[in-house]
Amino acid sequence: MDETVYLRLRHRIRVNPGSSVLLSHIAQIIAPGHLEEILPRIPIHQITEEDRDTVVVDMMQIISCIRHYAPSAAISQIGPSEAIIEVAIKKRNLPVLFFILIWILLFLGSALAIINFHEDVGMQAAQEKIYYLITGIHDDTPLVFQIPYSLGLGAGMVIFFNHVFKKRFNEEPSPLEVEIFNYQQDIDQYILLNENKESIKHFDHR
Amino acid sequence: MTIVKEMFAAFCGLGGGLVAGCGYVAFLTVLGIVPRLVQLSKTAKFIQYYEWAVVLGVLSGTWWGLGDAGGRLPLFVAAPAGLFCGVFVGMLAAALTEVINVIPIFSKRIGMDRRLISALMAIVIGKVAGSLFQWLYFVYH
Repeated sequence: MDETVYLRLRHRIRVNPGSSVLLSHIAQIIAPGHLEEILPRIPIHQITEEDRDTVVVDMMQIISCIRHYAPSAAISQIGPSEAIIEVAIKKRNLPVLFFILIWILLFLGSALAIINFHEDVGMQAAQEKIYYLITGIHDDTPLVFQIPYSLGLGAGMVIFFNHVFKKRFNEEPSPLEVEIFNYQQDIDQYILLNENKESIKHFDHR
Repeated sequence: MTIVKEMFAAFCGLGGGLVAGCGYVAFLTVLGIVPRLVQLSKTAKFIQYYEWAVVLGVLSGTWWGLGDAGGRLPLFVAAPAGLFCGVFVGMLAAALTEVINVIPIFSKRIGMDRRLISALMAIVIGKVAGSLFQWLYFVYH
């Protein structure tokens, strides 16, 4: 009788503190009839205080757990060989005051940054020149040009990030979302290597 | 002797222009503003024309800007020109923020993942307000 069990680990799961992680939580399973009952209920890991917020479980550990309950199963792994368990420690709620302070920081900071940028590149002289080239009028403060310019500045940023206060031009993810995804991906990669004690071993005892 | 000097000056000018042009295109490529506009508007087939728009823009800016000929266009033309300039600089600023990767790290550090858009809006509105402040008040003082 075929004893092959197909396992595909999930990339990242979130569990409550103190819970027991079962095989069905951590992987998708395809198994022959008589194993279908036991396999999903095999405990893989018990979340303790020491685990803090992330635990990495790898295939070797899972196989040895399965061996306990179903010694004859032939395990065939599909996809990633490690899974990240994220312990849902109660997220600290960002107090509104804190948020307002950060908002003001970003607001004033970017206002200062744009003024610095304009001074740096000699924006006023350039705008005067463009204004003169278009209309033939010399004006130190070509507001007809500068006010639309200032509004356009905001529009350009919004277009780039593809966010009109959450409304989208199209379905594609914005560069920012992609950037955040990449960043998360890098962090996951780091966690997989560094939280898993089996990945890095030192055999030199000096 | 003068002709040699002038030829040398012309040669220097050509070399300088070549390097500055390369630098400009490289900068624009790194920031990825053109691909972004193409992606938003789904007009990838016109990408060559967009390249030419950039090249012609640089060339006419250089020629036209070096001379001192005033235009004869009516005043209201300046407003849309300003708007387009602003959008371009805005995209430049946004792309720069993105290239240096501050926002993902910043939002993660302070646990502001969910309020990302309002943080973004702080930056956008800050830029607009800063720019308006500069042109309407700052330059007079």
